[in-house]
Amino acid sequence: MFNKKLLFVLVLSFLLVFTGISFAKVKIQFWHAMGGWRIELLKNMAQDFMKQYPDIEVEVQYTGSYRDTLNKFKAAVQAGNPPHIVQIYDIGTQQMIDSGLMVPVGDLIAKDPTIDSGVFMDQVTNYYRVGGKLYSMPFNSSNPILYYNKTMFKEAGLDPNRPPRTFEDILAMGKKLLKKDNKGNIIQTAITWPMHTWFFEQFMANQNAPLVNNGNGRLKRATKAIFNSPAGLKIFKFWKQLTDEGLMLNTKKEDWDEANQYFLSKKVAMLITSTSDVTFIEEQAKKQGFELGTFFLPRPKDSETGGVVIGGATLWMSKDHPKKEIDAAWTFMKWMASEKPQITWHTKTGYFPVRKDAVLTLMSNGYYQTHPNHLTALLQLLMSKQTFATNGAVIGPFPKVRDIIESAIEKMLAGDMSCEDALAWAEKQSTKAIQEYNELYK
Amino acid sequence: MRKNYSIAYILLIPTFIIIISFIYYPAFYTFKLSFHRMAPFGNRVIYVGLKNYIRLFQDPEYILSIKITFWFLLFTVSLGMLLSFLFALLLNEKVPGTRFYRTLIFAPYAISPAIAGTLWAFLLNPVVGHLNYILLKLFGFQVEWLTTRPYAFFSVAFATVWKNLAFGIIFYLAGLQSVPDDLIEAAMIDGANTFRRIVSIILPYLSPITFYLIIMNIISSMFASFGTIDVMTAGGPAGSTSILMYKLFLDAFTYSRTGAAAAQTVILFVFMVIVTIVYFTYGQRSVHYQ
Repeated sequence: MFNKKLLFVLVLSFLLVFTGISFAKVKIQFWHAMGGWRIELLKNMAQDFMKQYPDIEVEVQYTGSYRDTLNKFKAAVQAGNPPHIVQIYDIGTQQMIDSGLMVPVGDLIAKDPTIDSGVFMDQVTNYYRVGGKLYSMPFNSSNPILYYNKTMFKEAGLDPNRPPRTFEDILAMGKKLLKKDNKGNIIQTAITWPMHTWFFEQFMANQNAPLVNNGNGRLKRATKAIFNSPAGLKIFKFWKQLTDEGLMLNTKKEDWDEANQYFLSKKVAMLITSTSDVTFIEEQAKKQGFELGTFFLPRPKDSETGGVVIGGATLWMSKDHPKKEIDAAWTFMKWMASEKPQITWHTKTGYFPVRKDAVLTLMSNGYYQTHPNHLTALLQLLMSKQTFATNGAVIGPFPKVRDIIESAIEKMLAGDMSCEDALAWAEKQSTKAIQEYNELYK
Repeated sequence: MRKNYSIAYILLIPTFIIIISFIYYPAFYTFKLSFHRMAPFGNRVIYVGLKNYIRLFQDPEYILSIKITFWFLLFTVSLGMLLSFLFALLLNEKVPGTRFYRTLIFAPYAISPAIAGTLWAFLLNPVVGHLNYILLKLFGFQVEWLTTRPYAFFSVAFATVWKNLAFGIIFYLAGLQSVPDDLIEAAMIDGANTFRRIVSIILPYLSPITFYLIIMNIISSMFASFGTIDVMTAGGPAGSTSILMYKLFLDAFTYSRTGAAAAQTVILFVFMVIVTIVYFTYGQRSVHYQ
């Protein structure tokens, strides 16, 4: 009797322990850099995932800006405790590759029969494919578009259905949009975009001009900056002329919110910023009572046709984890880039879907008929010529190069340097930064 | 007696463990790193000798940053000291509601530099900022405080002064309350006016405090104003608010130039050593009565 009881207890406890282990959830960490209301959105998306895959638990952690997330990831790697999946911005790509710590997503796709790499849009994967290999999973992609205030256009006697296409258009229309009070204070003016090198990069790509040598860093590691070109000078001169004539409001370094604020408070009639704010700006424009239009990024009149570079971020998988966890992380990553979550993400933010089937579903639903502004960036991307210039530069010290170009623009606007000198200085400094970085990987 | 010593050493062990692991080891490691270059993920470290230092002093941006830091310190410390002395004099008066004013004036000291920066950024915002609104209504002009020179520099410097003010006021107030009343009365009987009393009695009496405050203000302007700058101007426009500490932050945490950042830390360390030596050499013997 006693023995039987003991046996029963033993068996039961064994069963409990083992079923407990086999049902134990695989825990994976996911770090992201999507602030504000997007924190909640991503949490909800992860919840949806966990409902479908109850044996995987995803810990979603907001880790600050793109820059902070990359830094925290670096610190975590050095402490030997990296998350499984981390969202890293476009310009961190080369550093992430050089770390040698990541699993190239292209390899995972090749091994997995349930996913077809052809389903992703080439324009997106082209950016993250370096040396023929896809390194990270496309997730949130954007490009810059022109937002304009149709109501202000009408008031200034401009055709609200004919937004500017070229730099020259903006200068000409800008003069009509500029309003001063009797003391010479600018009450209203033409345009703003954040003081950010991203826009320089985009204006370059829109003229099909590369930033660095060796196929924009895509054939071989880039060794030299080459943006001191006629295309680069056109951008610098445009920026300077707009500012000098009072047609443009400049922001603090990399201050996206300030530019949005200028536009939404009707201080300017046009805004160039990422499509990722489409939903937000649409809602705000409604509140402010003006009619919103969106259009493609302008370029100089007599320049080569190029296109826009995708911006945003991708999901990276770090290597040093047990196979079981890598598998779970891969399941989650695949799910995040699958059709439904991509549709949710696109419609709630404005980042465009990275998959063709998501676009097809939205097309057949008639979504774009009621949301034309969500289509602008997508169409602009699809109409972009695919070259090394429009696929985007791959530069190790990209954050530093961005800072150099921003400093050069600020110096030019403050009148310290001519457009030519500022551009030449920026190119020289960038080359120096690139060479300094490359010394590490000789 | 010997036994007592060993107990003392044992009791000190926890303190030393903490000091060594959080101060001495990182400091030593920083010195070491300043002679190396490190890949962003730390997976490659190359010995480069003095190259990090040489590059720094060849970099015109770094030289500019040294100059800016100098002017920034001069402006914030001198204006901060002057204002805190004047405020302390006023708060030392026996006016009704002094306690209330004191509390209000000390408030900025209690908030973090980043929040101070945010508050000022709001006030100085070109579109919705209060200051520009008032300027426009009263005088009919507006200034882009944070994006044009030299206004950005003065905006940041003034925010730093405002933030540090309370610290100076507290010390001056304590000092003023310890000035013997009979000394002041004697001076009044001798016919010294307010100005004369301040210059000949109060200032000399407070000179040790002044000296201490100068050192503390240098330290806080140099290191604690980082948060304010990051929020208000991010070092711009054209590097005109990029003090050494901010540059160090950028190199360490934005550009992953660990070696260069370590070298800058060592330079700041040397600067602080000099300030400390000056303080300990002159700090004690700077009391002068006239």
